[in-house]
Amino acid sequence: MSGADWLSYSLQDFVMFGPQVFLRLFVRINQDLWPWQVLAVIAAIGIPVLLLRQGRNARRLAVGLIAVAWAVSGYGFLVGYFGPINWPAVWFGWAFVAQGVLLAAAMFSGGVREAALPSGRFVALWLIVVCGLPLLAVAESGQWQAVALFGIAPGTTAAAGALIVALITGPWRWLYLPVLVLWSLFSAAILWVLQAWWLLVTPVATLLLVGAGFWLSPRPARSLD
Amino acid sequence: MANRITRRKFLINSGLAGIALKSPMLFANTSGNAASSPIMRRIPGTNESLPAIGMGTWITFNVGGDTQLVQQRTRVLKTFFDLGGIVVDGSPMYGSAADVMGEALNSLDAHDRVFAATKIWTGDESETRAEAARSSRRWGVERFDLLQVHNLLGWQGHLETLKQMKANGEVRYIGITTSHGRRHREFAQIMEREPLDFVQLTYNVLDREVEDRLLPLARERGIGVIVNRPFQGGSLFRRFQSEPLPDWAGEAGVSNWAEFFLKYIISHPAVTCAIPATSKVEHMKENMGALYGPLPDADQRERMADFVRSL
Repeated sequence: MSGADWLSYSLQDFVMFGPQVFLRLFVRINQDLWPWQVLAVIAAIGIPVLLLRQGRNARRLAVGLIAVAWAVSGYGFLVGYFGPINWPAVWFGWAFVAQGVLLAAAMFSGGVREAALPSGRFVALWLIVVCGLPLLAVAESGQWQAVALFGIAPGTTAAAGALIVALITGPWRWLYLPVLVLWSLFSAAILWVLQAWWLLVTPVATLLLVGAGFWLSPRPARSLD
Repeated sequence: MANRITRRKFLINSGLAGIALKSPMLFANTSGNAASSPIMRRIPGTNESLPAIGMGTWITFNVGGDTQLVQQRTRVLKTFFDLGGIVVDGSPMYGSAADVMGEALNSLDAHDRVFAATKIWTGDESETRAEAARSSRRWGVERFDLLQVHNLLGWQGHLETLKQMKANGEVRYIGITTSHGRRHREFAQIMEREPLDFVQLTYNVLDREVEDRLLPLARERGIGVIVNRPFQGGSLFRRFQSEPLPDWAGEAGVSNWAEFFLKYIISHPAVTCAIPATSKVEHMKENMGALYGPLPDADQRERMADFVRSL
């Protein structure tokens, strides 16, 4: 096909499903997983508690839970539910699994900071993300069963995962960013086509939270010289 | 004179009504004049006729493994068959739509009722047969009635294989597709020199470019025409359905906007059928309304186009 042909395509031409089918994905995965969502909620609330505790093990456990959340939401939601109606979602699903593996590797290779976080701001942002963003799918669909929980729904998981940029150091941090950015752009494009305006907040928030992650990152101690 | 309904008359009429609903083709005529029979169009160069309203599956049948929505789409398909439709068009590009269609056909035990049309959608020109076989398995049909090269992607290689497949009886008809008005010049060149049974293109009351070249060429070359995007992807409804129909709509055989848009298309003498897509039973009923009753004549078609432009 020529360049002019490609230019004649619009975003709509690449989204082969409707909003009803997309919102039903959240309902279906919640119905199929019930009652295991309770574990996802406990993890979402427990992670900031673990991160704020002193000690390497608590931090490792918190980061490990976030790594698991990436992998589960990627394989479960994106590969298992979204992939059959939208094949690029399968690629993103495996990218989410890789992101979880990357985070775990960073954790065991010294790529996660030991320094304390600015606790108040981090906890506030984390709780807004894991408690607020899941409700956007409810607002969009009008169904409580569509709640997009951290560790299950990829959008909420990526948004919360963006905050962890604050903890990752060196090259690990740069390796961690592409999936966050690409996923945000991909999901924003789809939600724009579907005119799912409430849900569109999630990828926008994810990109802003990447910035917040840098902002919350503990500064190296200043030299007295 | 009082017209009393006797038990005998009631039973006879009920029986006839039942047969008509079950087998609308028995009552079909190909002129489209009788209000009670579906409007049929002959496939050029054959003695086979198709109902002038078919069904597309773009977006609407891509529901994945959602059992509830699969059942709902099955009801949409059942309504389509019950109201006289047979032509169903899909593409491997449409995600899970082929699997959902297969499930729906199985549920309705309707493999022998469907005129199954799909597309070859791969840039690998050696994959024609393999992709057709994959689609056959997904639809649950032994062979397709119509295989089309999707948006001219790899058309040279695919068309050669499709011609062989047709000669071997692996497919009944072959064709090419385009949409959104793309690559019409190349499309016309292929129509001029290749032995096509069908072309599929975009045509509706606002997108009328094909009236100038492609539709006359299809008539001249004896090629059937399947029309996609008859509602311009739904935007015609979004733009016009809040407006009242013109006073003269009834004279053109039109009682709602779906019929207005569809009858405009199928009243073009080159068009074999239009393939609107819907996910709702009610909308399917409205679409299939266009399969019955009178069609607008040439003057009325012009008035229809002028009316829409004036809104």
